[in-house]
Amino acid sequence: MTTSGYSYERMFAFSPPRPSLPPELRATLRPVSLAKSRTLPLSEPWRALVPDAGLRRGSTVVVEAPVGLGGLSLALSLLSEASTQGHWAAVVGVDDPGVVAMAELGVDLRRVLFVPRPRGAWAESASDLLDGVDLLLVRAPSRAAHGAARRLMDRVRERGTVLVALSEPRAPWPLPADLFFRVTQAEWVASSRLDARYLTVRVSGRGEAARGGEHVVVVPNRRGRAEAR
Amino acid sequence: MERLLAIWIEPLALEQPDGSTLRDTLALLDSLSVLCPFTEVVRLGLLVLPLRGPSRFFGGPDAVLRAVRQSVLDVAGVEPLLGVAEGLFCAELAARRGLVVPVGASDAFRRAQPLSVLGRKDLTSTGQRLGLHTLGAFADLETARVAERFNQHALTLHRVARGELSEMEGQRDHRLARRLAQLRGEDDLLEEQRGFFGQRGAGDDRAEAAAHRVRRRLGADAIVVASLCGGRAPEDRATLVPWGSPLVGVRDSAPWPGQLAAPSPATTLAHPVPLQLRDAADRPVVMDARGSLSAEPTAVIFSSPLRREIVWYAGPWPLVERWWSRHRRRAHVQMVLASGEALLVVAESSRWWLVGIYD
Repeated sequence: MTTSGYSYERMFAFSPPRPSLPPELRATLRPVSLAKSRTLPLSEPWRALVPDAGLRRGSTVVVEAPVGLGGLSLALSLLSEASTQGHWAAVVGVDDPGVVAMAELGVDLRRVLFVPRPRGAWAESASDLLDGVDLLLVRAPSRAAHGAARRLMDRVRERGTVLVALSEPRAPWPLPADLFFRVTQAEWVASSRLDARYLTVRVSGRGEAARGGEHVVVVPNRRGRAEAR
Repeated sequence: MERLLAIWIEPLALEQPDGSTLRDTLALLDSLSVLCPFTEVVRLGLLVLPLRGPSRFFGGPDAVLRAVRQSVLDVAGVEPLLGVAEGLFCAELAARRGLVVPVGASDAFRRAQPLSVLGRKDLTSTGQRLGLHTLGAFADLETARVAERFNQHALTLHRVARGELSEMEGQRDHRLARRLAQLRGEDDLLEEQRGFFGQRGAGDDRAEAAAHRVRRRLGADAIVVASLCGGRAPEDRATLVPWGSPLVGVRDSAPWPGQLAAPSPATTLAHPVPLQLRDAADRPVVMDARGSLSAEPTAVIFSSPLRREIVWYAGPWPLVERWWSRHRRRAHVQMVLASGEALLVVAESSRWWLVGIYD
C-alpha cells in the first residue's frame, strides 16, 4: 500500500482480460518443451486413462479411497514406470510401506526415499523433498490443513514435481486436483489364495481429464502388478 | 524317486530368433501352473510337473493327463507328447515315446533303453564293441571297471544308468528360469548398468541433497531406503534402513520354496499387531501342532473392541524355519473381511498377529 492508497495488488487484480488468440493461430502454437519432458511416464493401465498418457509435471494427483480398499496400491503403481526410467520418488507418511508389494508393482526401490513417520512435519518434509525428487507420494496423517496443502501444491507447480496425495473420503484433500482417482469399489478374486483385486476407479480432473469416466482396473493382479481388466 | 509327468513339445524345443519360443513357453508355464504350481520348465520344449499332488486333486493321473493335454492344446496349439515315470531322466525318455510307465516299472524301463540315450557317441560306440547295448548292461558293470576304462563324465552317466541319479547332467537349462523371469519383467537388466564406473546422474545428487535436508529436520533415522532380501514371508523380505547407512545389497535371486506368492500386502507392519480370530460359536480359533485350524474363523477382533466378519480365508500355510537353531514356527492366513479389506495374519507362539494389509 502506498501513501496515496494505491495498491499494486489491485492493479493486477483488475487488469483487463487478455484477448483470446484466434483459433488458427492457436493451432500453430506449440509448447516450448516437448511433451515427453513435461510429463512423467505412467505404466499400464493408467496410460490409457489419463490425458497425455502420463503425469504432467507440476500437477497434483489425488487418490481417494476408503481405508484398506486399494488406494495405497493404486498410488504406488503410479510411481512404478517413472522410477524404473530413472526418476526419483519419495513416499511421505506411509507408516509401514509394503516393500515387496512395491517391487511387485514395478517400483525401482533404489530410487525411492521413505519418510514413514514425519511426526507432524509432513508438509515440511514433503517440501524438503520436492527439490530432490520427481514424484512425491504423500499421505497426510489426518485431514490436511488447507494452507499447508495450498503451499505444497504451489511449490510442486513451481518445481515441476508431481504430487500424488493419498486421501480418504472421511478426510479429503482440501483442494481440487489436476487429476483425481477415486476408488469407488474394490472386489477381491480368490481361488486357493488371493488372486487379484478389481478396483472400480473414477477418473476426473481439470482440462482434458475432466472427461474422465469410470474404469475397472486390476491392482494387484496374480503377479502383484497393475493391469487393465 | 518322485513320479513325474513330462511334457515334450517338439515345436518349442528349437528357439526362434523372434523370441516367440520364450513367450510361448512362458504362456504355457503360466497356464500349467494353474493346474500344478510346481510346474517347471526343464529346458525349451520340456516341461515337468510332479504327478502325485495333481492326481489327487483331479481324481487320478488320467484326468491330469487329459487336463494337461487340453491346456497345451489351448495355449500352444500343438499336441504334446506326455510321459510319466519316476525321475526326470526316465520321465523325459517316456515323454519322447509318449509312454506312461507303470508304478515301479521305471527301473526296467530305464534298463531296456539303448545306450545312445545317454547322448555320448564315444560311450555308445565303445559299449557296442564291448557288447553293451542297453543301459541295463552298462549299469551292471562294476563302478571300478567303468572308472578304469572311461572318464569322470562316464562315471556320472553310470550312476544315472544305475538309477542312483534321477537326472542327467545337461538335461536342465539352468539359464532358462532367469531368462523367463526377465521376459516377465521381474528381473531388470539395468541393475549392472547403474553406477558403471561410479557414474551418477544429476538426479541422484539432487535426491541426496533433499535427503540431507529431511535428515537435518527430523533426525538420523527419519528417512529410510528399502531393499529386498531373501525370505518366505513379505515381512521378512523387506529391509528398511536409515538413508546413508551401508546398504545390505543382497540380491534376492535364490529360490525360496514355500515363499508366499504375489500379490503381497501394500502395507507390511514392522511391528505386528495382536488380534484374535473367532469361530461361528465365538470361540477363539487356534492352530494345532499339525498346522490345521481348530475351526473356520468367521470373525476377527482387534485389540480394541473392534470386530469384523470374515467372508473368505485361505491357509494356514505353515512355515517351519531354522529348526537347527532358533526354531520358528509360523503359519500365514489370508482373509477378506466383510467390509472389503484383505489382511495377512500370522499365527506364531499360539497367538495371531496382523502382519499385512492389502490396502
